[in-house]
Amino acid sequence: MVAQELESQQQQQQPPKKGSASLHSHEGPGLNILVGKAREVIQQAIVDPVTYLANWGRLYSLWPVHLETACCSIEWGAVSGPRFDAERYGILEAFGSLRQCDLVVVHGTVTRKMAPRLRFIYDQMPEPKWVIAMGACSISGGVYFDSYNVLPGVDQVIPVDVYVPGCPPRPEELIDAFILLQDKIRNSNIKKTS
Amino acid sequence: MSLPTQSSGLFTEQVSEDKLVVSIGPQHPGAGHFRFTIRVEGDTITECIPDPGYVHRGGEKQTEYRTYIQSIPMIERSSLLDVTNITLPYCMAAEELMGIQVPPRAQYLRMIMSENQRIISHLYWLGIQGIFLGHSTMFMWPLGDRDIFIDLGQMIGGARITYSYCVPGGVRNDMPPNFKDRAMKVFEYFESRLKDYERIFFRSPLFEKRTRGVGVLSRSDAISLGVAGQVLRASGVKSDTRIDEPYCFYKDISFEVPVYDDGDTWARCMVHLEEMRQSMSIIRQCLEKMPQGQIKVKLSPQQRAQAGEAYCRTEAARGAMAFHIISDGSTKPYRTKWSVPSFRNLIALPKLLVGSHVADMPAIYWSLDYWPVEADR
Repeated sequence: MVAQELESQQQQQQPPKKGSASLHSHEGPGLNILVGKAREVIQQAIVDPVTYLANWGRLYSLWPVHLETACCSIEWGAVSGPRFDAERYGILEAFGSLRQCDLVVVHGTVTRKMAPRLRFIYDQMPEPKWVIAMGACSISGGVYFDSYNVLPGVDQVIPVDVYVPGCPPRPEELIDAFILLQDKIRNSNIKKTS
Repeated sequence: MSLPTQSSGLFTEQVSEDKLVVSIGPQHPGAGHFRFTIRVEGDTITECIPDPGYVHRGGEKQTEYRTYIQSIPMIERSSLLDVTNITLPYCMAAEELMGIQVPPRAQYLRMIMSENQRIISHLYWLGIQGIFLGHSTMFMWPLGDRDIFIDLGQMIGGARITYSYCVPGGVRNDMPPNFKDRAMKVFEYFESRLKDYERIFFRSPLFEKRTRGVGVLSRSDAISLGVAGQVLRASGVKSDTRIDEPYCFYKDISFEVPVYDDGDTWARCMVHLEEMRQSMSIIRQCLEKMPQGQIKVKLSPQQRAQAGEAYCRTEAARGAMAFHIISDGSTKPYRTKWSVPSFRNLIALPKLLVGSHVADMPAIYWSLDYWPVEADR
């Protein structure tokens, strides 16, 4: 039964024979195929390699902003230290300017005083940019979920790519988040970043 | 307060030809989660207004609707650098209200953990101070050695840095049997390491030039401003809660309190270095003297405290840390007040920065060992 259905479908999908083109179409079916082929060729010959190269370039040089929002920054210090050494993955803090940065790691709790600053800093960064929400506080408020001065989740202020649970997350978890983010960048389309 | 502090003080403003108003932080390599505005004339700072409160999370209020034991992880988060030291005065005050005697073994375990935390906190401080003075090696070495002490704490506490170790009535877990051997090995290694630190950093001409005579706080100023901890001891005041009002078993243990009369950044750094040695000696003596026995008095999770007030003070990594609990006899405190050393040291910052050069700012700022998360509570 299934084989018969498949055959009938294939018969339906077969391109119309020459001379039997519909009256409304001014172009022949050959041109459509040609355009489709050309698009495929351009995709494979130009867009894919360029996307791959651009993503590869972004992948291993993620420069986070030096913005410490709360106590998770201690674990960030440990990640920058020699035992865990995030520089192996190309993560090195850019101390110079926000224009060099493409990653925001939100270190924990974001208070109502810090939230406008975080948005301000995020807006100043150039376009391909990613956000890692580190710690339970930046995901949902964490221990301070019922505090009067704490945002219940940083995704109310800026879009988040990777969430790292933990209070504070161990440095290994943070490194895992970097690898996840790199996977995301590797599979992303350069036309639609962020 | 002549400077704009909130909205218009966001950017650097040129007041006249040689005067600038510079906003520093919170996104700045030298000021994480903290901001201050300075007025600069040429290269000299003429005015400084600190703007703390970026990490104010309302911890004091939150203790009012949590039971005594529920508050501990939250109190601990406000000073992740020395978690045992910040929960210890809270637990002591709660025990005073509940009328509990803590077993001696638990007291010794508390001492071991708080001295270990002091070393961890000082090593983090040293790493950041190193990179502020442009010495990248001194960032990498202390942060690498810090992980060894974190492993030591992990053997007892079970977590990397947040173990909520002190609870009202005692401590959470006992020491594993191989802890003593491991600790002795670590101390032997770290003592040789401290000599390397001295050789490469503390005795180097770079360090001497950048810190000698920079940010001098005189003895009378230190007393009248009410600063705490290393800042006070570096200004020639021998003040240490472990000796003045001994808690746990500190009266049975002999150790020195390093005091320097210079009052400058150099003296504050040397006090930190010396305290790490003393902490190791305290842990060694504790491991020798520690008795066997219980580690905890069993309490109900809904333990009630007697109505009244309790005030307890300990010496945390940054200075005297105090908790004042007012209880109305229920399972939750009526009000808690935390007196944290970081906030008390912040008052010295405008005093020290005025008259110094812009390039000395990071060294002075971090020599106060100001931890904004702790100060803002």
